[in-house]
Amino acid sequence: MTVSERIEQLKSEALSAVASGASTADLEDIRVRFLGRSAELTEIKKSIGTLSPDERKEIGRSSNLASREIEAALGSRAEEVAAREQEERLQAEAADVTLPGVPFPRGHLHPSQIVIDDVIDFFVGLGYRVAEGPEVETDYYNFTALGIPPGHPARTMQDTFFVDDGLVLRTQTSPMQIRTMLAQEPPVYVVCPGRTYRRDSDPTHTPMFHQIEGLAVDRGLTLGHLKGTLGAMARHVFGEGVEIRVRPSYFQFTEPSVEMDVSCFVCGGRDPHCKVCKGAGWLEMLGAGMVDPGVLEEVGYDPEEYTGYAFGMGPDRMAMVKYGVPDLRLFFEGDLRFLRQF
Amino acid sequence: MRVPLSWLHEYLDFDLRADELVDLFSLRSQEIDGVYRLGVIEGEVVIGEVVEFGPHPNADRLFVAKVDLGGREVQIVAGAQNPRPGVRVPVVLPGSVMSDGTTLKKAKLRGLESYGMMMSERELGISADHGGILLLDDSHEVGRPVAEYFPVGETVLDIDVTPNRPDLWGMIGVARELAAILKTEYRIPEPSFATGGKPTRDFGLRVEAEDLCPRYDLRRISDLEPGQVAPLWMRRRIYAGGMRPINAIVDATNYVMLETGQPIHAFDAVRVREGIVVRRGRTREKITLLDGSTRVLDEEVLVIADEERGLVIAGLMGAEDAEVGEETTDALIEVATFEGRNILQTSQKLGLRTDASGRFERGLDPNMVAYAMDRVSALLTQAPGGRSADDTLSHYPEPVEPWRVPLRLGRAELLLGMPVQMEEAVERLEALGCEVEREDGELWATVPTFRRDLRREADLVEEVGRLIGLDRVPETLPAVPQTGGLTEGQQRTRLLRRLLADLGLSEAITYPFGPERWTEDLGLEDGTVRLENPLSAEGGHLRTSILPGLLDATARNRAFGARGGALFEVGNVFFADVPQDELREAALRFRMTGERGVQEAGRLMGVREVSRIGVVLGGTVRPAGWNVPEVRAGFFEAKGLVERLVPGARFVPATRPYLHPGRSAAVLAGDKEAGWVGELHPEVAGRFGLDGWPVAALELDTALCQPAPEPRFEPFVNVPAVARDLAVLVEERIPVGDMLRSVRDLPGQLLTEVRVFDVYAGSPVPPGQKSVAFGFTFQGGKTLTDEEVDAEVWRVLSRLEDEFGVRVRS
Ligand SMILES: [Zn+2]
Repeated sequence: MTVSERIEQLKSEALSAVASGASTADLEDIRVRFLGRSAELTEIKKSIGTLSPDERKEIGRSSNLASREIEAALGSRAEEVAAREQEERLQAEAADVTLPGVPFPRGHLHPSQIVIDDVIDFFVGLGYRVAEGPEVETDYYNFTALGIPPGHPARTMQDTFFVDDGLVLRTQTSPMQIRTMLAQEPPVYVVCPGRTYRRDSDPTHTPMFHQIEGLAVDRGLTLGHLKGTLGAMARHVFGEGVEIRVRPSYFQFTEPSVEMDVSCFVCGGRDPHCKVCKGAGWLEMLGAGMVDPGVLEEVGYDPEEYTGYAFGMGPDRMAMVKYGVPDLRLFFEGDLRFLRQF
Repeated sequence: MRVPLSWLHEYLDFDLRADELVDLFSLRSQEIDGVYRLGVIEGEVVIGEVVEFGPHPNADRLFVAKVDLGGREVQIVAGAQNPRPGVRVPVVLPGSVMSDGTTLKKAKLRGLESYGMMMSERELGISADHGGILLLDDSHEVGRPVAEYFPVGETVLDIDVTPNRPDLWGMIGVARELAAILKTEYRIPEPSFATGGKPTRDFGLRVEAEDLCPRYDLRRISDLEPGQVAPLWMRRRIYAGGMRPINAIVDATNYVMLETGQPIHAFDAVRVREGIVVRRGRTREKITLLDGSTRVLDEEVLVIADEERGLVIAGLMGAEDAEVGEETTDALIEVATFEGRNILQTSQKLGLRTDASGRFERGLDPNMVAYAMDRVSALLTQAPGGRSADDTLSHYPEPVEPWRVPLRLGRAELLLGMPVQMEEAVERLEALGCEVEREDGELWATVPTFRRDLRREADLVEEVGRLIGLDRVPETLPAVPQTGGLTEGQQRTRLLRRLLADLGLSEAITYPFGPERWTEDLGLEDGTVRLENPLSAEGGHLRTSILPGLLDATARNRAFGARGGALFEVGNVFFADVPQDELREAALRFRMTGERGVQEAGRLMGVREVSRIGVVLGGTVRPAGWNVPEVRAGFFEAKGLVERLVPGARFVPATRPYLHPGRSAAVLAGDKEAGWVGELHPEVAGRFGLDGWPVAALELDTALCQPAPEPRFEPFVNVPAVARDLAVLVEERIPVGDMLRSVRDLPGQLLTEVRVFDVYAGSPVPPGQKSVAFGFTFQGGKTLTDEEVDAEVWRVLSRLEDEFGVRVRS
């Protein structure tokens, strides 16, 4: 057998070994066997110097060609094998994707607070500021300054918790309106959220509840501004489609006084058996009115120069309506079965 | 105020269904609380004559009647036994609908057919009497519909009258209001009555307490027939109006009260000694009332007395021995006005409220007295056949005159935000009973004295606005000349709440008042603010910590099967801050009048409120998953929260009576104590029903929390950081936090981060020592060489050796 023939033979042996190489390790063995330092082909190349010039040229060319061919075959085979091996590895790593993920548990904000935050965001967007004040309030701020002096019948409408001589748990957030007006000159645009207290307990009354009151005093404010503001708020909280209506009412510190209803955001007044509005089509939402001139005078504002409006709403009740909660008492029990729903 | 619609129709004509009336009244005047139905809503009720009446053959308690309905005879089974052959009775025919919504059907009762039903007063909506069938007198013609004589069904509106409108506590006032809404006329009965009765002046009248009694009128009605029952039409109106018919005289007074809003009292003249005295009560004077209760009076209670004894607590209730009764033939009728606030105070003091006191306490119009007196005289001279005295004793020293109130149209348009026509305003005010004059584009309304609520221009604006219709006011938005926003503190509170919710906690809102044991069980010193009138003994103390409410909630959750929970609350706590003695008077003046002189308001309030954030972790805070272990409540879970709420906080061991003494710490924010964090003392946990549960908690002043510190950019270079670990042995008592601080405080640092990744005590660590493993990250202005890093680690180690005596763990 000539050297050239041997080279051809080695090449075809190598190529068939490469073709049947099943793993990256196999192929490495094949490389060592056919192209390694002590491989026969390598030996042949080393011995080229001992050959005649003609042979040298011929053998040199064919051995290099064989090496390159084997190298190329090894390379492409290695790619194939690597791809298959990766595929197998990934298959083996497959997880049950229906198993739950690592928990990043979410907590919950209180439903009344969700409504309060929402209402406050709305008013802040309109340019209002937010004022908060003490829950133990003086008789003067809670009643007298609001046109309810001692002995006034309206005091009996509010079952008051008494704390000490002249101190009460505030029955409303309205005292903050007085405190705000005493502390600054008009224009005033402010909302006052907070806890309020009345001596009352049944499924729709709890001794503590929340109020959000709002107050605007400026030149030229009208009942139309009040209606527009409250209508926009109702649409912000309950959805674009709702309408409002106002009815005459009576509050000590507003004149005229109104109550505002919101059209039922569930049935729009079209379902006589609606669970939310009981078929009335309207939901009582809040009390409001134009600030009584007596209140403006009390805080040193000139009622001829300034007018204003005030409103008060119950975010707990709004949350009850919005989320369909039947019993107000649930709000203040810290029961996780309740809190986790919001 | 209950308004029977058939009665309302007597004063004005209107053609509205009940639901239309409800809408209209709600949108223009007052809220309607409800609509009630009485009697027969729909169908036929005819007058029948009983032909035969006897026991039911198959039932002990039933009877059977043959009734002539005018040309045809029907058989009716009845439960009542009072009909006799020959009496006339109302019979409701099958197919009629009763007030409870049921439809009457032909029925077989114990084998006998029954066609329709003979009706009691209650079934007809006349009274609560259900003792027998209503027997009608011979003036009722057999076979005619009962409705030709009196209504057999009634719709009653219940108006929720606001406190400023005492005029709506009478049917006439309601009629006037509705007429003003509908722009129509209303009419009121013209009283006429028989006179020539015994003179009133046989009795005296002396008003001693003029300040509490602006007007007192007294008239005698004599020659009354004893034992009379009020006519049926009157009884059914009284019943529909929400009261109980009693006897002819009392019913007449109640009827006029429902009609005019003016309460009226009738005395049996025989029992009145000499005359009527209107005076204040005497100290420890006693009076036994109609309801059988004996009340002790004082000088603030107004009493209607004779010369010997108290007869009535004015405006509230009479004594049992001066009232008119079955045998009364001679009556003294009182129509008076009392000072409303005083009546309210007495009512509250005695815990007694009546239809009359509810009207007096709003403050009534003294000018209503004369009409009410004439009306009741007319009614008393009709049915019980009395005769009125020719004279009336009247004490009315300062007659109330109508007053004038201006109304500028421009002002009305400004307040209402809609155009108001002069003609419209005039017409509306006149409909309410005002006389209106025009002067230079201004209106001047002379207000009738029954509208005591109309004193100022704004009051008139409201009247005009609501009668035109507030629905006409367009919705517009004001141009607010300022930017809105939350204060720093408000933003902080909101961020705190959001942060904790994002970390998996649930926001609770609990009552800030609780039982005394809250303080005791937590082992706190008393400094609580107390309520004078708590709802129960369990709610008399204002909280000084958020903790107890959250612990109660946690225990409740546990009782309902929760395996754990994480609650937080942001709210105020309250501390007694009683002003010094010399400030007591100033404090009281400030609280009652707002005047504080030179004092700071805070020193006069008496209560200090602080906003706190509280967290309670209990039981399994996070359950195990298939690939994560469970998280149970413990000190370090709570501390981790504090580290988020107060970045850079320092923790120093501190004991509080309710915390585990070895697993709790005070939280310092800078040099201020921000609050505490720790595991609950097992004893305290037991008292709150949390035995055996791990409970950790924290409470911080919200003002000292910093949930989102202002970011500040620190420059960095783009060369790789190098990490090195180091484990050391140190005496077990050495706080790791001190070691960390010491390392961080090393000057000239390449060290950018240090963390503790392992703490271990026990074999093979020698007893009394622990192994602490630190992970360091070094970063320089250029790539650090191994030698430079080694030098840094050596520096750190020598610091730890010097200060804490550590040895490198080999
Ligand atoms: Zn609805």
